[in-house]
Amino acid sequence: MQGIVIPISMVPGNSIIHRMNPLPKLAWSLGILALAFATRNPAVLGAAFFIGLILVLVAQVGKAYLKVVMILFPISLTLITLQSIAPAFPPPWTPIVGFGPFTIYQEGIYSGISMLLRIFSMTTWAMVTIMTSHPSDIFTSLKRIGMPYSLNFILVMTLQLIPILQSEFGIVLNAQKSRAMKGTGFGAILPSMVPVFVGAIERVQQLSISLESRAFGSTGQKTSYRQVRMTFWDIALLVIGVLVTGSTTYWVIVDRTLDWSDTLVFHPVFAISLVIFATLGFLTFFVLALRQVLKA
Amino acid sequence: MEPIIKVENLWHIYPTGNVTAVRDVSLEINPGEIVGIIGQNGSGKTTLVKHFIGLLKPTKGVVYVNGKDTAPLKVQQVAANVGYVYQNPNHQLFARTVRDELAFGPGNLGIPEDEIEARVDQAVKFFGLEDFLELHPYRISFPLRKLVGMASVYTMRPDVFILDEPTTGQDNITTQTVYRLIKRLRDEGSTVLCVAHDMILLAEVVDRMLVMRGGDLIMDGTPREVFSNHEIMSSTHLTPPQITTLSLKIQEKYQSFNKTVLSIDEMVSEVQKSSQS
Repeated sequence: MQGIVIPISMVPGNSIIHRMNPLPKLAWSLGILALAFATRNPAVLGAAFFIGLILVLVAQVGKAYLKVVMILFPISLTLITLQSIAPAFPPPWTPIVGFGPFTIYQEGIYSGISMLLRIFSMTTWAMVTIMTSHPSDIFTSLKRIGMPYSLNFILVMTLQLIPILQSEFGIVLNAQKSRAMKGTGFGAILPSMVPVFVGAIERVQQLSISLESRAFGSTGQKTSYRQVRMTFWDIALLVIGVLVTGSTTYWVIVDRTLDWSDTLVFHPVFAISLVIFATLGFLTFFVLALRQVLKA
Repeated sequence: MEPIIKVENLWHIYPTGNVTAVRDVSLEINPGEIVGIIGQNGSGKTTLVKHFIGLLKPTKGVVYVNGKDTAPLKVQQVAANVGYVYQNPNHQLFARTVRDELAFGPGNLGIPEDEIEARVDQAVKFFGLEDFLELHPYRISFPLRKLVGMASVYTMRPDVFILDEPTTGQDNITTQTVYRLIKRLRDEGSTVLCVAHDMILLAEVVDRMLVMRGGDLIMDGTPREVFSNHEIMSSTHLTPPQITTLSLKIQEKYQSFNKTVLSIDEMVSEVQKSSQS
């Protein structure tokens, strides 16, 4: 189980990004999210991804980020394979080259690359935010700008439950293996999932009793043990984030010349190499993942 | 006699946090031995025994079970010989009924159906689960669930039975069942390893004790030897059963009383002997 845990939690550190208030980081991430959905231009998406990568290096969270990429990248490669033969564009499509019984289309390659970059630009920025911010700090900051306390708390608890459930699943899987259970297929899921979910429900029930007995839900002003400060630079970065991502999003929407789906012509050799690479990349990952599951 | 478990210079270092949980431990456990493993929390007891069923693989060293190196074996292969009862039964119970739960392990081992049925019936009688057989394991009380957890491993008939904290948080009836289980396993010739903080249980049922401290095996001896070793007991912050402590105090005062007592019955017998002499 340890091998397939996705590290989507804070990576302790003291980089400049770790020290920032979570709000500007959230603003930038949400801005990049809006931008990524507003355009298909590979250069814009590539630039957002590249800047995100620089932030990963500055934040020194490369190792944890790579673990996510190693799972996300091969899965995302399927987008290139699928899009190249069935583009998410209105027909007619421009054929580039035949690939067995399929035809690879110009719009498909363009769409596949765009979607891949879209996913990676969004994920990279989101990972930087999550990996450099303490969950409590994120929600304390959100509370400051008016997010309801209960909703905040639900989100904190949900985030905290993820690693607990991951670790619990590992223990349960070991317990079942100790009873000679074959750790594969659907037969392995039921014996492992029932204790995890029952445990989660029991945990939530106990938590709710424990919270109520410690005055959760009482009215009036609440205080927080973790204090999150908002410095001048945090405010400046927040404002800059909103302005930069907002104006770029506006630009990519109004400027029709950024649609390169007709002008960016892919060479047949490039197109076929890309599709083969994407397909083989995904299949290799699939086989390796399957072997890992069968070994468990 | 060939040891059923043989550990040679075992080291286990957890990759997360680079923690050395077991440091250069070597030991042998013979078939039919009842062994208690004690030590403070974090001393490496559970890490050590998890190697015996292949749940953990050695960082260095070798662990043999029935003469086979466990490192290349899958847990499922070792589980035919070694049964592990988890401290928290909720980690292993999932089936629709208690009966299905008891039949799960032997089914995985490919035991014929009539034999499974016989084993389940035997386990039900021994653990007193007759009234709960058709209930969902999560609808019965926690102590009973713990018994179901033990029974579900008992039906697999392993040569080695590992009990992780079998009496923690249990009521008196369940604790007594654990005592009976260990004694029965002894009579059946099984090897039992009991990781526990319950010194009264260990004093009464084990032949041998392994004391762990900070990943090291610091003592291997009989309960009498371990409990009377003041240095070992104080350095591990462990306390012998009260009756044993009383006998040790009496020994300090009266040199004529020279037995480290492990149970009330033994104390009564010693007092009788002293009064007669």
